[in-house]
Formats: sequence, structure tokens, C-alpha cells
Amino acid sequence: MKRTTTLTAPLSGEMLEGAQTENRFLAQTVSLLKGFAFNALGFGVLIGLWYVVSLITKGELPTPAATFQVFWELIKDPFYDYGPNDKGIGLQLYSSLIRVFSGFVLGAMVAIPMGILIGASSFCKRMFYPIVQVLKPVSPLAWFPIGLVAFQSASSATVFIIFITSLWPTLINTSFGVASLPDDHKNVAKAFGFSKWKYLTKVLLPFSLPHIITGLRLSIGVAWLVIVAGEMLSGGLGIGFFVWDSWNALSLERVISAILIIGIVGLLMDRGFSWIEKKVTYSV
Amino acid sequence: MSYLKIENMEIAFNTPKGKFVAVRDINLEVKKGEIVSIIGHSGCGKSTILNAISGMTFPSNGKVSIDGKGIEGPGPDRGIVFQNYSLLPWLTVYENIFQAVDAALAGKPKEEKHELVEKYLKMVNLWDHREKHPKQISGGMKQRTAIARAFAINPEVLLLDEPFGALDALTKGSLHIELLKMWNLTQRSKTIVMVTHDIEEAVFLSDRIVVMNNGPAATIREIEEVHLPRPRNKKDIVNMDEYKVIRERLLSLLMDKVEIDEKDFYKEKAA
Repeated sequence: MKRTTTLTAPLSGEMLEGAQTENRFLAQTVSLLKGFAFNALGFGVLIGLWYVVSLITKGELPTPAATFQVFWELIKDPFYDYGPNDKGIGLQLYSSLIRVFSGFVLGAMVAIPMGILIGASSFCKRMFYPIVQVLKPVSPLAWFPIGLVAFQSASSATVFIIFITSLWPTLINTSFGVASLPDDHKNVAKAFGFSKWKYLTKVLLPFSLPHIITGLRLSIGVAWLVIVAGEMLSGGLGIGFFVWDSWNALSLERVISAILIIGIVGLLMDRGFSWIEKKVTYSV
Repeated sequence: MSYLKIENMEIAFNTPKGKFVAVRDINLEVKKGEIVSIIGHSGCGKSTILNAISGMTFPSNGKVSIDGKGIEGPGPDRGIVFQNYSLLPWLTVYENIFQAVDAALAGKPKEEKHELVEKYLKMVNLWDHREKHPKQISGGMKQRTAIARAFAINPEVLLLDEPFGALDALTKGSLHIELLKMWNLTQRSKTIVMVTHDIEEAVFLSDRIVVMNNGPAATIREIEEVHLPRPRNKKDIVNMDEYKVIRERLLSLLMDKVEIDEKDFYKEKAA
């Protein structure tokens, strides 16, 4: 993406450097194609191996061709709805994304203020950080029963475990960002008598924002990992349940297709946050 | 008639190894509108004294007062120019000054604050660069922004902590003039206390120069009066006897180590 944007500037400019621009354009196209070639090569090797394994296992593992056919069937009509037990992959994905984002947003709403508190005050850090350290290594799935008891609904319990999952990376990164605020910036605020609000909005948050976004990016990554397992437990609707359901229907083609889709969605979310990260990072 | 008064000040810090005394027995009286430099080797506690005036650190003994009132923390009556510019990198040049003015002069209406920012940005010739971020401007421009920020809150006392230390000689020279211009434009009513390790800079700018002993537990070694006439001209003053005398005196106070190094050199050679 970035390559194309830098390209248009010299092209739209004066044609004085025409030859040079053309050369640059050519060089960029070549390097872009090279990148694609490497990607294609990597995937080619993977698909080749897959094919070999499916030959060896005599069709226990479906062949790439069979899988891609099923994959195409799935994404051809993603939003069909034939009753509660038969919905298109798009609807499954949508329901998972809604759960992930609600849990994630709730988590961020708790984690960012908590992270600021822990980062800014050593009192809070000494009080709360041990709790974070004890709870962080726990698999979020262990919270599922507690979610069930608290919310009496499997779907809400899934949102609850996503909420728990999203807390830690955001909280830890936020507190790290806040704690690493240089004395220089603090001194400016002190010397000119910044109010608490001005200190928060003009010094502390702008400085920590890149760290906070990094935390959010890690959080949503883990949340996307956890949602699959969570929905296997909760059942109902969602990409995780879809994987489990496909396994019960003995369709490995659908399982592999779902894996592919989960991977692509995860990649897109990560890219999205990387993009925001770059946007909010100021250079000194 | 002293305006800024430091009496028997000692500043000590508690460290894991025990009490560390940075400076002691500091007595200094500065008149209103005077420019005073504090000069000494690094680590002699010059900046510590400045911090005590700004209210960032508190003396462990003795007292600092302005106009008879003891200092109880940072306040808008003192403007600070920090060693490393200390601009907020995510704010534009304009915003950097505006946020400081907005905070320090909380009671004033917005328009008046914007007018102040404009006035001081124009004074340091940065009006055309107001929308730039600190990373986009040179070191000299950054320091001009910091100076404009300190002046814009209209403080009675200006505290400059090695303000030109990171700049090249030419930029430094033009900023000295810039600073004196600002001081003149405010009817020479601002009291300026500046920390430096540059002898020429101290002589050119100051009415008095405070020479520090080496730390730890540094004290004031001597206070030099500079009787050069104002307005000062860089080219003219270097030929004045007064300038030469003071420069000699400061050099001998600060540079007595040079000879020892020479002797060591010859000793090595002989061996």
C-alpha cells in the first residue's frame, strides 16, 4: 500500500525527472512482483506438502483441490440463513467478530484506565500489579464457568472470557508507556502549572498512545485466538463453533477452510492496528 | 534592594548510600532586572540551584525567596528554559507555546492567550513555522520556541538551564542576541538567572557571574561583576580591557587543571 502512495507523488509532479521516475516505477514494480513471487513460492511449497500428505494418508486428509472447492462453496454464499443450525460462514464470522469486539472494547475500557493508574502511581502498582501477575498466565477459558454463572448465558460468557483476555496486554503496555514518560515532559507540565486534565490529555496520553495501541493490538490478537476455543465450548453461532460442527459432520474440508478464514481475518485485524500504530507514533 | 534572595542554602538528596550534599552555603542576592550567570564544571550543582529557584527541588536547609516570599513550588512567576528544549514532540510549535500559556495564565480569556502566542512567536521569528512539529525544525529554532514559551507567560524571573549548550557556535551567537532583544523589549525588567559552562557566553550576557567550586558539596567560589556597557556588541566588547580581565579571571578560576595535565604529559615522555 505504502509503495503506491509514494509513487503517485513524483508521477503527478513535473515530468522533468521523467526518465528517473519511470525507472523508479519499474524498480518498485519489480520489487513488488518479487515479493509476490516469494509469497507464492511459500504457499506453493505448503500446498505441495499438503497434497503429498493427503496422497500418503489415502484421502484421510482432503486434497487441496477438494478443500478449495468446499472453500469456494462457503464463500460464494456467505450470508444464507436456513434456520438456527445452518447459517452461512459470513454470519458465523460476523457473530464471532461482534463477540470479540464487544469483549475487546469492554476490556480496553477497563484496562486503559487501570494501566494509567498502575503506571502513574507506585502505590497502585504495588497494590494491583501482583494481582495482574497471578491472573495473567491463566488461560481465559478457565473463566468460562464463572462467566456462565454470572451471566446465565453461553454467549455472554464467551464475551466475558474475551473481556478477560483483552485486559492483560493492554493493561501491561499502557502502564509501561505511562511509567516511561521522561522527566523532561513531566517538568514542562510542572514548570508551566499544567492542570491534571491538561497533563493527562496533552502530555501523558499523547506520549503513551503508541504503547496503548500496541497493547490493544496484542489484545485483539489473543482475543481472536481465544474466541475459537471459547465458541467450541459455548456452541451456538460463531466461527469456533463452525469448526467444531464441521468436525462433527466429518468435513475436514470445512475445518481447513475455516482455519484459512480465521487466519486471514486475524491478519487483517493485525494489519489494521499496525496501521493505527504508525499513525499515532510521533517521531522525536 | 534584592529581589531574588538565596540564604544559607544547602541541597541534599537521600540516596541508597546515604545523604548526598549537592551544594551548601549558597548565599546570593539578585536585583530586579539583573542577568546573573552561574558557571562551573559539570556536576557542581549549578542546575540544582536553578531547580531550587524554580521550585522543582527544595533546599534541605536555608531559604529561597522572591520579593520576600518563600518559594513553595513551581509557579507562573518564573519561566524556565530547559537544557534540552523540552518541547512536547506531539504538539506543533504554536501548540507548545499555547498550552504553556493556557496553563500558566489560566484566568485570561482565550483570545488574549492566542494574541500572546502570536506576539512572542513573531518576536523570535517563528511565526511562519508555527504549524511545524519540533522534529521538523532545527535545534536553534527549538530553543527559540522554548525561549518564546518562557517569555510568553510573562514571568518576573527567567531561569535558563544551559540553554545554548547543545547548539553550534554560530546559532548560539545569534540566540544570545535574540535573548537580549527579548530582555530589552520587556524594558529590562525581567530578572534572568542562567546556568552555563561557556565563559564567553556568561561574560557577554551577564551583569554578574557566580563561579562555583567543584562538587560534591559545592559552594560559591567567587562572584564576578561585569561592568561592560549595554547594549553590548560581540565584536566591540572583545577588545575592551574589562572583557579581557574578566575572561582571564574566569579562565584561571575554572581551568586550573590544564597545567597539571601538561606536567603529566612531560612525565610520561621522560619515562
